[in-house]
Amino acid sequence: MKENVASATVFTLLLFLNTCLLNGQLPPGKPEIFKCRSPNKETFTCWWKPGTDGGLPTNYSLTYHREGETLMHECPDYITGGPNSCHFGKQYTSMWRTYIMMVNATNQMGSSFSDELYVDVTYIVQPDPPLELAVEVKQPEDRKPYLWIKWSPPTLIDLKTGWFTLLYEIRLKPEKAAEWEIHFAGQQTEFKILSLHPGQKYLVQVRCKPDHGYWSAWSPATFIQIPSDFTMNDTTVWISVAVLSAVICLIIVWAVALKGYSMVTCIFPPVPGPKIKGFDAHLLEKGKSEELLSALGCQDFPPTSDYEDLLVEYLEVDDSEDQHLMSVHSKEHPSQGMKPTYLDPDTDSGRGSCDSPSLLSEKCEEPQTNPSTFYDPEVIEKPENPETTHTWDPQCISMEGKIPYFHAGGSKCSTWPLPQPSQHNPRSSYHNITDVCELAVGPAGAPATLLDEAGKDALKSSQTIKSGEEGKATQQREVESFHSETDQDTPWLLPQEKTPFGSAKPLDYVEIHKVNKDGALSLLPKQRENSGQPKKPGTPENNKEQAKVSGVMDNNILVLVSDPHAKNMACFEESAKEGPPSLEQNQAEKALANFPATPSKCRLQLGGLDYLDPACFTHSFH
Amino acid sequence: MNIKGSPWKGSLLLLLVSNLLLCQSVAPLPICPGGAARCQVTLRDLFDRAVVLSHYIHNLSSEMFSEFDKRYTHGRGFITKAINSCHTSSLATPEDKEQAQQINQKDFLSLIVSILRSWNEPLYHLVTEVRGMQEAPEAILSKAVEIEEQTKRLLEGMELIVSQVHPETKENEIYPVWSGLSSLQMADEESRLSAYYNLLHCLRRDSHKIDNYLKLLKCRIIHNNNC
Repeated sequence: MKENVASATVFTLLLFLNTCLLNGQLPPGKPEIFKCRSPNKETFTCWWKPGTDGGLPTNYSLTYHREGETLMHECPDYITGGPNSCHFGKQYTSMWRTYIMMVNATNQMGSSFSDELYVDVTYIVQPDPPLELAVEVKQPEDRKPYLWIKWSPPTLIDLKTGWFTLLYEIRLKPEKAAEWEIHFAGQQTEFKILSLHPGQKYLVQVRCKPDHGYWSAWSPATFIQIPSDFTMNDTTVWISVAVLSAVICLIIVWAVALKGYSMVTCIFPPVPGPKIKGFDAHLLEKGKSEELLSALGCQDFPPTSDYEDLLVEYLEVDDSEDQHLMSVHSKEHPSQGMKPTYLDPDTDSGRGSCDSPSLLSEKCEEPQTNPSTFYDPEVIEKPENPETTHTWDPQCISMEGKIPYFHAGGSKCSTWPLPQPSQHNPRSSYHNITDVCELAVGPAGAPATLLDEAGKDALKSSQTIKSGEEGKATQQREVESFHSETDQDTPWLLPQEKTPFGSAKPLDYVEIHKVNKDGALSLLPKQRENSGQPKKPGTPENNKEQAKVSGVMDNNILVLVSDPHAKNMACFEESAKEGPPSLEQNQAEKALANFPATPSKCRLQLGGLDYLDPACFTHSFH
Repeated sequence: MNIKGSPWKGSLLLLLVSNLLLCQSVAPLPICPGGAARCQVTLRDLFDRAVVLSHYIHNLSSEMFSEFDKRYTHGRGFITKAINSCHTSSLATPEDKEQAQQINQKDFLSLIVSILRSWNEPLYHLVTEVRGMQEAPEAILSKAVEIEEQTKRLLEGMELIVSQVHPETKENEIYPVWSGLSSLQMADEESRLSAYYNLLHCLRRDSHKIDNYLKLLKCRIIHNNNC
């Protein structure tokens, strides 16, 4: 019996199922509520997913009840949320209360219920994305441009009463970049982006989130083009600057090419050559010193010793008529004509230092004047300017014929201008002598030590040939021989004439009366035209000193040696800047031998300079 | 009789006068000694601080619940038993914006203070019990400790606010009492877990409530509903 009932039941069910399957109709499948969201904590919506509909039209209904209530409610709004949704309006929404809901699918064949879903609105809050995203490039004048992003909160959210609190986040990237740049903006509805890539197109998006809840979706992207004007401006400026500077450089090069020489001359003036009257610079340069010296009647000159930095006593040479003389010489005696390469119109060059009283050496003895030889190294024309006081000596004229070696052209004679007060000879100039003078003045203390160290360093002594106005022949010769490091440790000991210290006697010129064949110089005090006195009282022939030119260096340097007949003077002149004196070594050694030490009485220290009284040295340099 | 009563009357009168004089010198300190403006600034700071604390407490509670559920009770339907399990449900708290806007300021503040007070004891026991568990979950324990401490601070701040906004408010110590301690100590694991689940669930909800209420009040009192 039981077996019959059971089998009958099974048979019926199978028949029913067969019937249904044949018809193709089934009760609906089980729906499922898959999502509930509240955008503003005042409403919420739930969506379900329907199951299989069983081939028949299916009705869905959502029913719910709330925590603490027993009454079941049905969804108030199936439409607002779209299909398969249930929307709960404000009056149906409660916070902090659990909703228990389920969906019922019904069709002709049957119905099915979904699982219950426990929903608390508190934890399903997700706002809509922010609205009205506005992006702008702002370019303040003194700052770099930045991006100004502004947006509005989504609608239907109550921020004013504090019921809802929103936090924002923006993101941006250049159009073709791979990663986003995300910035958290807090509760503000605007934002500045300061680091931008100019010239790029940016995408900007914003989203929001409640204080406790889910992030909204990203807002639609806003595109913004960052202008690259500022970089373009910089480039343009740089290009124009480069072009301009190139043009300027070209102009400069062209100018230099055209007038290069004159410009170079202007910038770098050529060094003036030595100016010793009576010398043929060219001849010296060529190194034909022997010729010249033989012409001058020098013997044993130039010395083979090589003295570097040997500063030689220099004689003040008045070259006020330099230019004329030079030109004349050059015309008449090109071989021996002086061709000063450079005429220094500076009348004061060298004079000052030579004129200083400290340089005046004491007069030891009045020089014997017995000019037997005259040396006329330089022919000086009569100055056209009568104010010059030292350039003319009638005696020179008379010597004209006696000086076969020199230019005999007109009344020309050479004088050795003496250092004189500058006011008297404004036009005199001392070229290299200046330097020699200064050098003599400078390391004045050296001579003293040098003298002590016999044989060590070059002796430095200065003498100036001077003839006082009183007729006292004071000769001052500044001899500077400064030899520091040459092998020839043969200092030149040059006798110096003692001259009264601080003598106020104005310096005067001494003229070279004669020059011996063997190179002895006979000096005469220069006679002023104004004075009219060929000789001054008390200064007879003593004024005349004789000096023998012992040699001439290649570089327009006269090496004078005291005349053995008159005074023992040694004059060693050397251009300070020229090469070492080429005096004969033997002679130097002789001199040294003869002057092992400087007698104290002969030594006069004036202002640091050490002067030797040539009178003390009776020895001859010969 | 009169002779006996007059000295008593005199002394009584003397006492009364002296008391009055003394009472006058003992004036209650003004709540806002600097004036209303100063109080307003201070109130703003108090509210800002309170909001920060309430926000922080809810974040901690939410994390603690999530961790607990993930570890012990997920998918096991404990939520069904958590319905109507909060001890503070007896309080008539607003459940939407309209209700919240209808409550007056003073009652609103009292309500918040009551909720906070009612959680003192459950938080204390929560810490104690979690600490005593065999395999005490460190993350949950540390958060429970932090929540307990911060809730105390928030309560102090609220009391200050109340004293400033409504100084005449009498101290109302009435608050819902929690009685779930025994449930936390039940031997049955299922029941115990359910008790913990309920406690953490209620804590998460109430902390959210307090946070929302304070933000509402801040906008109402400080910014005049114009946040």
